[in-house]
Amino acid sequence: MTNIVGNLLIFLSLSSSFVSAYFYFKKKVSFFLKSYLLSCLLCFSSFFFLIYCFVVSDFSVSAVYQNSHSTKPLIYKIAGSWGNHEGSMLLFTCIIAIYGFVFFYTSKNVESNFRNLTIFFQNLLKIIFLFYLFFLSNPFDYVFSNPTEGLGLNPILQDPLLLIHPPFLYFGYIGFSLILSLVLSGLIKNFFDKEWASFSKNWVIVSWTFLTVGILLGSIWAYYELGWGGYWFWDPVENASLMPWILSVALIHSMLIMEKNNTFKSWTALLAIFTFSLSLFGTFLVRSGILNSVHTFANDPERGLFILGIIIFIIFFSLIIFILKTNFTEEKKNIVFLSKENFLMYNNLFLIFFLLVVIIGTVYPIILATFSNETISVGPFYYNTILAPFVFVFLFLMGTGPMMKWYKNEFKSKVSLIISIGLISLILVLVLCYLSKKINIIYVLGLFFSFYLISATIYEIALNTKIVKIKQNLGKNLSHLGFGLLIMSVTLNSFFSKEYNFMINLNEKFTSDDIEILFEDFRITKQSNFDQFSTKFKISKNNETIILRPSIRKYNQPEQLTSEVSIKNTLLKDFYLAINYSSIGERRLIGARYYENFFILGIWISSIIIIFGGISRLIFRK
Amino acid sequence: MLINKNKRLMIFLVSLITFLIIFKFLFNTLRSNTIYFFSPSEILKLSKLPEKKIRIGGMVKKNSINEKGDKYEFVLTDFNQEISVTYSGILPNLFVEGQGAVVEGKLVSRKYFIGTKILAKHDENYMPKEVADSLKKINNTKKIK
Repeated sequence: MTNIVGNLLIFLSLSSSFVSAYFYFKKKVSFFLKSYLLSCLLCFSSFFFLIYCFVVSDFSVSAVYQNSHSTKPLIYKIAGSWGNHEGSMLLFTCIIAIYGFVFFYTSKNVESNFRNLTIFFQNLLKIIFLFYLFFLSNPFDYVFSNPTEGLGLNPILQDPLLLIHPPFLYFGYIGFSLILSLVLSGLIKNFFDKEWASFSKNWVIVSWTFLTVGILLGSIWAYYELGWGGYWFWDPVENASLMPWILSVALIHSMLIMEKNNTFKSWTALLAIFTFSLSLFGTFLVRSGILNSVHTFANDPERGLFILGIIIFIIFFSLIIFILKTNFTEEKKNIVFLSKENFLMYNNLFLIFFLLVVIIGTVYPIILATFSNETISVGPFYYNTILAPFVFVFLFLMGTGPMMKWYKNEFKSKVSLIISIGLISLILVLVLCYLSKKINIIYVLGLFFSFYLISATIYEIALNTKIVKIKQNLGKNLSHLGFGLLIMSVTLNSFFSKEYNFMINLNEKFTSDDIEILFEDFRITKQSNFDQFSTKFKISKNNETIILRPSIRKYNQPEQLTSEVSIKNTLLKDFYLAINYSSIGERRLIGARYYENFFILGIWISSIIIIFGGISRLIFRK
Repeated sequence: MLINKNKRLMIFLVSLITFLIIFKFLFNTLRSNTIYFFSPSEILKLSKLPEKKIRIGGMVKKNSINEKGDKYEFVLTDFNQEISVTYSGILPNLFVEGQGAVVEGKLVSRKYFIGTKILAKHDENYMPKEVADSLKKINNTKKIK
């Protein structure tokens, strides 16, 4: 019964989308908009209905049967509705609808032809994904065996952070669908100019902010849940989210030029098209089963092929419109060397390079595995070596660019300022090197350039005395400041963090350098959906003692072991202990990984500052 | 006009050369940072033993795990060929006889491998993709025969 209702909701949403498209061509605007809103509402209700199915554990619905269990806590039953392929694609489609819906209500005073065409394109995208949902990945498929119990949700996904990580990421990815619609209708309706840029920029910042939050949550989750001591692994799935992020940063900056002097139009349009394509490509990589990770729910090549088809269709369709409609009578303005727009150009060049490095590292193994039979993986060292030197230059440009003037080369008048900021950074680096007794070229350069960006940004903030100016520049300054702090924290983290691996038995002691780790106690407890083997470790270092309690959980549905790490955060460093249990051989030992991770809190805080940059830009928009 | 053309040509050439250098650098780093994966059958067919770190994968043969001091010894199989592996370190939670595993390390001979790292897996139903693929390949060739 329930599966009929679910299917009906999706089907009705799909049909009213078609009706809406029909009315658009018939030029009946009010019917077009009404049926569009109706299809959005139907789409939302099908998603709420799926959540309802999960809450009441209706196992005749396939998505519920495969990913839920009646003993699971309520919150994970709800999260289960997007913790699987079918449900997450329903959420994906809903978010396309949400963006269209919100755009409809916030764009009442925008030119109506342009607005309607944007909604039409948004509707078209919704149709494509509803089609995919209905025929290839239907969450409401009927389970004929009539089971009384479900198969359960992968325990590694049973984590509060993962409740909100996918929705945020999706709100980021899919926000770019609206940007694509805005670009296409802007091109067709000859509305692609300064005004378009300052209107659409806000939407780009909305999606970018969501995407940043999503990536941050994913990174925090990996740090706490995977137990490998790190926060970023250059895993293809992480890269998939980083690629549209990099391109959207480039897009924001190129829109700044377009907003100011009506140039860079074609470039902005291309960036917007490819940002959404990369978001879809990320979904394809993650969902097609080409890659192998926690995120790959379904190994169904048919679905992967369909998503790949969608990507190719969207790219071609957009590019055709782009080619046909870009006959801008662009005012020939020469870019003045070392003017503000010149620096923004460099920003775009660098970001495209970063993107290329990430794409090559992610896609090369896939291509190699497809065309030859070699299976390879690319290590993090590849990314770190290539990106580091360019990021340093990038930081310098990022600090210097905002000091420059539009249209004019006033670099000479700023030379003394640049040198004095450089000197301040140099002194800070020397002090830090003296304190930490550590010298290494990458370490020194990384710190120097991030200090340069931080002090340059602080100078920029201090320069504004009027409230209006402060508000206007707050977004930019916070994001730049956050990025500087982020690179600083990452550098410090990579040069100070330590790792110890050892096997240990009850009441034994592990000693290394100046650390003493004692395995004091253990206990076994039962919870509703797992058994827990909890331990107590005492870590002593320079008269300081910390107690850490890592544990191993044995989940019953599905049966699986997970390691729960124990972390003590301090401002400067994290004490991080993960254990696993090996029952092989005579000695029943505990394998432990102990990490001292520096500046993790700094990494989280600076990312949050970046996010606040985006938010304050939206609050104080012109 | 002529000067302008020459200037443009210069800019073009300089940027071309810079790009080529950057890409050379990029691919060199890529090549030196890739880790190849082999199944036991593929290792037997290798003409030369790889010098670099590699990954091998297969099923952990039943009753093959031995503990010797700090070291573990076990046999990885793809049901066609086998290879013995020694490993000293912490075994992951899900390292169990009769299940798939991927080991990173150095190949000493075609039948002997020293592991430095056993890669973590996420659940007990899951077989590393590389292992699944290589098992599939072997099954296909067997069917043809």
